Amino acid sequence: MSIRIFLIAPILVGLLSGCVTNHQRYDWGTYDPSLYAYYKDPTKEATLVESLAAIISTADADHALVPPGIYAEYGYLQLQEGKNLAAVELFKQEETHWPESKVFMDRMINVASRPTPTSSTK
Amino acid sequence: MNPLSKIFMVGAVLMLTACAGAPKRYDYAHFRTEAPRSILVVPVINKSVDVNAPDYFLATIATPLAERGYYVFPVNMVKSVLSDDGLSDANLVHAGDPRRLGELFGADAVMYISIERWDARYAVLSTAVTVELTYTIKSAHTGQELWSNHQHVVYQPQANGGGGLAGLLANAIVAAIAKAAPNYMPLAHQANNGAIYIKGTGLPAGPYDGSFGKDGSDY
Repeated sequence: MSIRIFLIAPILVGLLSGCVTNHQRYDWGTYDPSLYAYYKDPTKEATLVESLAAIISTADADHALVPPGIYAEYGYLQLQEGKNLAAVELFKQEETHWPESKVFMDRMINVASRPTPTSSTK
Repeated sequence: MNPLSKIFMVGAVLMLTACAGAPKRYDYAHFRTEAPRSILVVPVINKSVDVNAPDYFLATIATPLAERGYYVFPVNMVKSVLSDDGLSDANLVHAGDPRRLGELFGADAVMYISIERWDARYAVLSTAVTVELTYTIKSAHTGQELWSNHQHVVYQPQANGGGGLAGLLANAIVAAIAKAAPNYMPLAHQANNGAIYIKGTGLPAGPYDGSFGKDGSDY
């Protein structure tokens, strides 16, 4: 193997990173594949719920930021299961960490706080 | 120069053209005026024959936008809430007023994505898997277009066999597998990266990135 390759290889790596700079700001856990698996097979909702919960607990343990939207996604799945109180808490977390979400979260907190016959029996 | 380094050189030239061959610099004037902090991704228009393509694509778009430094509204929740409000039809949502969506969600900008192609076509001992997408961001305050991008990614797997009958056969098998179970997700990721992260045409850094508002020479 020629010595030239050792010179060229780092340049190639440089070129690649020059095209696509995709540094990780957040720890997304298995968010993308779990959401994909859920869309492929909606019975896999539990896996998605677990994945979202894990992202939050990992970030808490690392004193890191939970990525945008994760508290809200988790809260929404809780709401769909009739766990309105848990949902409201998570929507509040989203709003506290990401002020851009305030309008949407306030609206969802309203929805989740409204007493409905279905939510009280679950 | 030995053959191996020649291959590397060709690769380097190809990569350079992949970057430098990109279309001319996007006009960021409107984008800079608005400097959106948050992006609402709405249901994706599907012009492909694969009915699942919009959902599968949706699972790839939140992470690169958030990593670019934007607040990205929870994509699955937004999809469900819009659907509950009778807005599950992507064509209807795309034709609507972005300012109305802005009011509903408190978003600064709305991202509209259209899937032009999402298919695997068989052609002479090889299968070409194609993902083609159009991305548009409109202001949720003025309705004006702030940014757009078009990506066309093709993957044509080849067997690493030699020539002759064995090589042809190996290629035929690879092509058949690619046709039977095409994997679109790496292509969708590649398209997103190509749309968002290329200097001159991609998305300027968002408010959670250190270079927010300071990357004017690149975008």
